[in-house]
Amino acid sequence: MSNKYDAIVIGGGINGLTAAAYLAKAGRRVLVLERRHIVGGAASTDELYPGFKYTLYSYVVSLLAPSVIADLQLHKHGLDLIPLNGSFTPMENGDCIAFPDDEAQLYQEIARHSKKDAEAYFKFGEFMTDLARTMKPFLDVVPPDPVHPGISDLRTMRFLAKHLRSIGKDKMHWVHKIMTMSAYDFLSEWFETDVLIAALAQVGIIGTMLGIKSPGTAYVLLHYYLGEVDGEISAWATQVGGTGGVSEAIASSARSFGAEIRLNTGVSQVIVKNGKATGVALDNGDEIYAKTVVSSCDPRVTFRRLVEAKELPGELIRAIDNYKFRGSSGKVNLSLDGLPDFPALRDKSLLIGGMPEIAPSCDYLERAYDDAKYDDFSRRPFMGCIIPSTVDPTMAPEGKHSMSVFVQYASYNMPAHGDRDQQREAFGNAVIDTLSEFAPNIKDLILHKQVITPWDMEQQIGISEGNISHGELTLDQLFSMRPTPGWAKYRTPIRHYYQCGSGTHPGGGITGTPAQLAVSEMLKDGV
Amino acid sequence: MSVHRYDIAVIGGGHNGLVTAAYLAKAGRKVVLLERNKTIGGSAVSEALFPGFSVSSLVEGTSSFSAQITADLGLERFGLSLLQDDSPDTPLVVSPQKDGSHLAIFHDVDRTAVEISKFSKADSDAYPLFLEEMRKVAEVIAALNRGPLPDMPEVGFKDMFSLARLIKPVRALGWRNLAKSMRILTLSVSDLLDEWFESEVVKATLCASSLINVSLGPMESGTGYLFVQNFASSNNKLFRSSAQCTGGIGGLSQALAAAAEDLGVNIFTDSEVSQITLEDGAAKGVAMADGRQIEAAAVVSSADMRSTFQNMVSAGTLDDVAANRVDKITYNGTAARVHFALNGLPEFTGLGGELSTRLKGYIQIAPSITYLQKAFDQVKYDTCSAHPYLDIRIPTLTDPALAPPEKHLLSVTVKYMPYRLREGNWQDLGQKLGTMVTDTITDYAPGFPECIDDVRVITPLDMETNYGQPEGSLVHGDISLDQSLWMRPIPGYTQYNSPIKNLYLCGAATHPGGGVTGINGANAARRILKDWR
Repeated sequence: MSNKYDAIVIGGGINGLTAAAYLAKAGRRVLVLERRHIVGGAASTDELYPGFKYTLYSYVVSLLAPSVIADLQLHKHGLDLIPLNGSFTPMENGDCIAFPDDEAQLYQEIARHSKKDAEAYFKFGEFMTDLARTMKPFLDVVPPDPVHPGISDLRTMRFLAKHLRSIGKDKMHWVHKIMTMSAYDFLSEWFETDVLIAALAQVGIIGTMLGIKSPGTAYVLLHYYLGEVDGEISAWATQVGGTGGVSEAIASSARSFGAEIRLNTGVSQVIVKNGKATGVALDNGDEIYAKTVVSSCDPRVTFRRLVEAKELPGELIRAIDNYKFRGSSGKVNLSLDGLPDFPALRDKSLLIGGMPEIAPSCDYLERAYDDAKYDDFSRRPFMGCIIPSTVDPTMAPEGKHSMSVFVQYASYNMPAHGDRDQQREAFGNAVIDTLSEFAPNIKDLILHKQVITPWDMEQQIGISEGNISHGELTLDQLFSMRPTPGWAKYRTPIRHYYQCGSGTHPGGGITGTPAQLAVSEMLKDGV
Repeated sequence: MSVHRYDIAVIGGGHNGLVTAAYLAKAGRKVVLLERNKTIGGSAVSEALFPGFSVSSLVEGTSSFSAQITADLGLERFGLSLLQDDSPDTPLVVSPQKDGSHLAIFHDVDRTAVEISKFSKADSDAYPLFLEEMRKVAEVIAALNRGPLPDMPEVGFKDMFSLARLIKPVRALGWRNLAKSMRILTLSVSDLLDEWFESEVVKATLCASSLINVSLGPMESGTGYLFVQNFASSNNKLFRSSAQCTGGIGGLSQALAAAAEDLGVNIFTDSEVSQITLEDGAAKGVAMADGRQIEAAAVVSSADMRSTFQNMVSAGTLDDVAANRVDKITYNGTAARVHFALNGLPEFTGLGGELSTRLKGYIQIAPSITYLQKAFDQVKYDTCSAHPYLDIRIPTLTDPALAPPEKHLLSVTVKYMPYRLREGNWQDLGQKLGTMVTDTITDYAPGFPECIDDVRVITPLDMETNYGQPEGSLVHGDISLDQSLWMRPIPGYTQYNSPIKNLYLCGAATHPGGGVTGINGANAARRILKDWR
């Protein structure tokens, strides 16, 4: 039996496409199978209302690895990022805290709330950038296997241990602190202004079913500063034409290297013979064979849906069943008849390409979490909004706007609100009602709205329990333990079957890094 | 002005101070111990809060006090008498439910499995395997507890001896399982138990006691570590024990003091240290509030970090990094104590008649993980729990001498009660607390109010003002992952030493933290003897 393909990649999201591009670049014959009619998975754009483009699920681009951009020549293939023009957080008392890009303005703005905090803010930025630089080597390596350590694992461990010793005691202790503290406690060591802490702490909760006061959320703050280290994009940005454009660029790059991408082609199962993956069976019953199969899906899909339990050790099955997903974020996409007005915002220019964030106080954020953690949604949720049409005319007709609202929290299960349709309705209403507290004219502007709950995300793009990072980014699910100790090096117990999604190190976000590291391991194995 | 000279001066006569003093005297050192209060014991005191009663004011039970220390110091000769009720009918914990059912955890594994099977057959099967796994992990933690931890990240040859202790327990666990097992330390106890059990009652009953000393709910990451720590510091290889000693917790302190004095320690009560005296940046004694001066080659503080470095040492002594670290320690006391003098025994629904022997251990009002977590949620907003988690003990069932004839004592630890209140003050709320606890207990024991003769409430604020516990934290700083292991009490000083030369630490602020174990005190003594051979 001759294989037409060296590798089949299941799933055409950011990581699936990145893996395909790298494999094709290395001369492998690659086929990507995507269930939906468009590429991108969680990073896709669609026109659900005539003339208005929605960035369906994810909303901003932050950490796309510069090496991925360069290796895959993404700029040539259409990557076109517009850095966000600052952000602002309206408060419940009608005031606001804004984060303009200009440093002098930013200092003035924070000093308006607290001079001490304005001084601390820039020191904090330097401190975090430095800490991010310290942590960077951990994100860039294939995590060592502590269960079956081989020579390369010992070498990695030695490298990292040496690195830790070289950074010195004080910084090592900060590493410990940031890995274990809550975002709130960590920031409270630096700042006194409640709304400033809230506005910064919200970064720590993105995509996780934890609150700003839950231990373990400080670490995610670092991600924001990692961009600074790499330099390509300092923080958040949007893609021209919506986030789907990033996926399109990677797909185009993959194709240019010779990869084939088949849309509307769902995989029902990985074919395993004698403990070896030999191909995939499609939803329509067809079978396609390849020397290697790569899953970019989350760990539950990779290990529990695509292969039969008998192919895996019981311990791994147990570990994957205990792996925490806990989707916590929803999305509301809006077509607007005009620009919403946030009366609390003093400098209206921040609305153009800027990011309104509904995180008015620490109590507000924590209550949002407390509402949702017992299988519910937040009455008054945290929201990160972007209105890409203010800087990207392709997103909406002239004079109109499309708005992306990232919402937290919404639990995967919300039984108190009836069936799934009623849950979505109630959740969507809570979002719009809360938004109109801060932007009173918004209700009159809405032409069309799309509400997506975590359950919807699971239905639409197949991510388990709607967790946008393919599983919680908690200490017990990071690095050598992502997705589980012993299986964090992108391999699986089934030979020729690999994982490359966000459920592997270094986790979620539009980074491409898991796939990049996974392919490096595959090539080592002679794929 | 008189000057007294000693080898070592110990500040504070809590159980850890007493243990350190006793071990040092045993090794031939001339030791003085200075206690601010009239009675020795610190947080481990028994007081006559009601006439004729002996009440363990802050802490209940002596179950986790190190058996090794008891033997080393011969505490039984000095009056320590552990009342271990060996009757198989006495559970460690009983958790009554609103529907009249209850879960009892016994020392005997099989008997417990039978009890658990009333709530879930699968959980009953899982329980023995669960214990086996927890014990293996706990052995590793126990080895870490016994010795100075390496000063991360500077692990070197000097640490080989203390790290060698880990080899045996790690081998028993299996090297390959190390990462998987250490993973559970970072989990929340709720997630940890979810991996083994399905019944909410079972999970809540097992985990509640690991939360008693901290300001964390069961769903917070790092509470898995606390759960395993309970196993590691126990004498019975379980997460809890119902052992108590004659005279209540104060009985332990009295025995420790007697043993220490017998070994030659000079103990002074009513003796408050106002300042640690320094010479060339090194500790050389203490100045007392009454003007006495005591000279010593080394000083050991069993007090918390705030008292030691912000009150007893003048500002500017520590370098900025250390001073900042001390300043940033979070305490967050979240427990109150309520004591009831009773004229009779309350009857808990479903625990009457023969089953009333089941009330001899701890009685937990903690029906589900959600109940516990919701009780915790309130303190995040500096508000008291409306439906608190109660840890109840009726010590007079085991030791009738603690109360006058025919009377009973019922003591409750109430969680979660914040030290800082957003609205109101503890003077007013303290009164309401007694009523709230009475009401909660009455839900499970309908005749309870009729049994009550008198009530005493000890708020988190009382714990600070009357008992010297910072912000009401009996463990001298929250035992969260960022303040544990080599981060405790502050990074860089995890080996019972301190930023000041010749000043040592031996209290709950040090590794492995709080609880009446005596381990901190013994570890500190070992360190001091190493430096002062």
